[in-house]
Amino acid sequence: MKCEWVKENILLYVYNELPDDARYELEQHVARCGDCSAELKSARKFNALLSELPVEEPSPNLVTASRMRLQEALETTKQGGLWQRLIFDPGVWLRQIRFAPALAAAIFIVGFAGGIGATYKLVGGGAGVSSLSSSSAGRPAESSVMGIQSISQEAGSNQVTIKYNTVSTQEAQGSLNDQRIQQLLLFAARNNYNSGVRIDSVDLLTQQANDTRVREVLIYALRYDSNPGVRLKALDALGPYVKSEPRVRDAVLEGLMNDSNPGVRTEALHLLETVRADSSVRAVLQRLAENDPNPYIKAQARTELSLLPEFD
Amino acid sequence: MPAGAWAVPFAVGEGSFRERGRREEASGTQDPPSRGLMAERSLGRIDDTLLVREAQRGNRAAFEELVRHYDQAVLRLAMHLTGSEHEAQDIYQDAFLKAYKSVANFRFECSFYTWIYRIVTNLCLDHLRKKQVRKEEAPVATDPTGEQYDVLEQVPDARAGANPERDLMRRELGGRIGRALEKLTPRERMVFELRHYHGLKLRTVGEVLNTTEETAKNTLFRATQKLRGALADMR
Repeated sequence: MKCEWVKENILLYVYNELPDDARYELEQHVARCGDCSAELKSARKFNALLSELPVEEPSPNLVTASRMRLQEALETTKQGGLWQRLIFDPGVWLRQIRFAPALAAAIFIVGFAGGIGATYKLVGGGAGVSSLSSSSAGRPAESSVMGIQSISQEAGSNQVTIKYNTVSTQEAQGSLNDQRIQQLLLFAARNNYNSGVRIDSVDLLTQQANDTRVREVLIYALRYDSNPGVRLKALDALGPYVKSEPRVRDAVLEGLMNDSNPGVRTEALHLLETVRADSSVRAVLQRLAENDPNPYIKAQARTELSLLPEFD
Repeated sequence: MPAGAWAVPFAVGEGSFRERGRREEASGTQDPPSRGLMAERSLGRIDDTLLVREAQRGNRAAFEELVRHYDQAVLRLAMHLTGSEHEAQDIYQDAFLKAYKSVANFRFECSFYTWIYRIVTNLCLDHLRKKQVRKEEAPVATDPTGEQYDVLEQVPDARAGANPERDLMRRELGGRIGRALEKLTPRERMVFELRHYHGLKLRTVGEVLNTTEETAKNTLFRATQKLRGALADMR
């Protein structure tokens, strides 16, 4: 009877699926019974044999290719649950409205210029319309850029290709030091609706973080970008300036306090390690250590505080 | 968009998520997870819940973040089941697109982890069923001893190892095991795959396959019996 029970349960034992008491009982029996001991040995051997068929990890190339293919498909896919889409959500509305000023300004300017053009045509016989098109040929005026389509860097050089839309899509090419390229990158980091493009531009801008204008944009991205990946990239680039620039420190502190993504908050906490003695940082750490809902952040803040030298 | 855009360095998140699938496996056959790991895992779950809620509001970035948490485990499973990177990629694509379209209907009745595995295993089961039908028309040849073999399986693997003889042995062994696995019914195969190769607990396997732990247990018994029969001469 006992042997039968053991044989029925040996597979579960091998897969560690037996409750503790049954497990103990089985072990006791196997220690005494030669037949069952042989059976267990054979089950283990067979288990090991099947594991000879390896489970391979997907290669990084495969993972990347799959992610890219998926992302392309997601761009054109609509989410289901229509009634949910229709519910008014102030959060989403605010996020969308954040990018609206640029668009509204662009539409307004195009409309305004169109109006002026039409007036000139009536009054002066069509003399002044060219003023709108000439600006798009050379250096792009920020107002004429509707959105950035894609950004890519040639491997091994600092040449950057940027495709951006005015009325039609245009392409700009040049080195990272080129003013026109910089201007487009700054614009892309702030205004683009595609998070992939924002992450690319922030990524390139990080190479030039010593420029104050670039830092401004990075701070903006850290504070307001909806994509945690973009925020993290900006945060990393700002890291070296936490010590020397109060504005950067404030932005990082704000990220640590309020960011919705725990990854971003943790990274911010690490960046602030070098300036933990600063009074504002200290105050924030104290608040986090007392009542932060995230247990990891709370514990880390406590550790940071314990490392501080005691004053007064 | 370049790969860098996906490879976001997460100080806590990334490390724990990357390892999560593997640790989940480890906990199946080894000691109970340590307190640190438990805390980390629950942190991951909280994070998932937030991300799922965001994704349900239509935030694509949040959904992409969720994809990153699970996609390596999905590829690993699909690759092992189909034996083909190409087919695994198709399953990956279908699974996450399906998840994206229906994430609004996710009601938190189970973990997101179980939910996504449910979608993937359903697609894999469909794939296995189709493959079984196709198999009847597969190119089969007969060797001098009269035994039939699959022509496609004789195509040499281009990856040369350091020890060709051992490689050959391993490949032959792997091939035999693979063929034995293919003889299982799709459901038996799936239960065995999830428990043996991917380390999911039988309770989770039951949840994923919309059945009870008891049924999963019985299916695992049947699958093991069949495999023992098919590989009897190798023991």
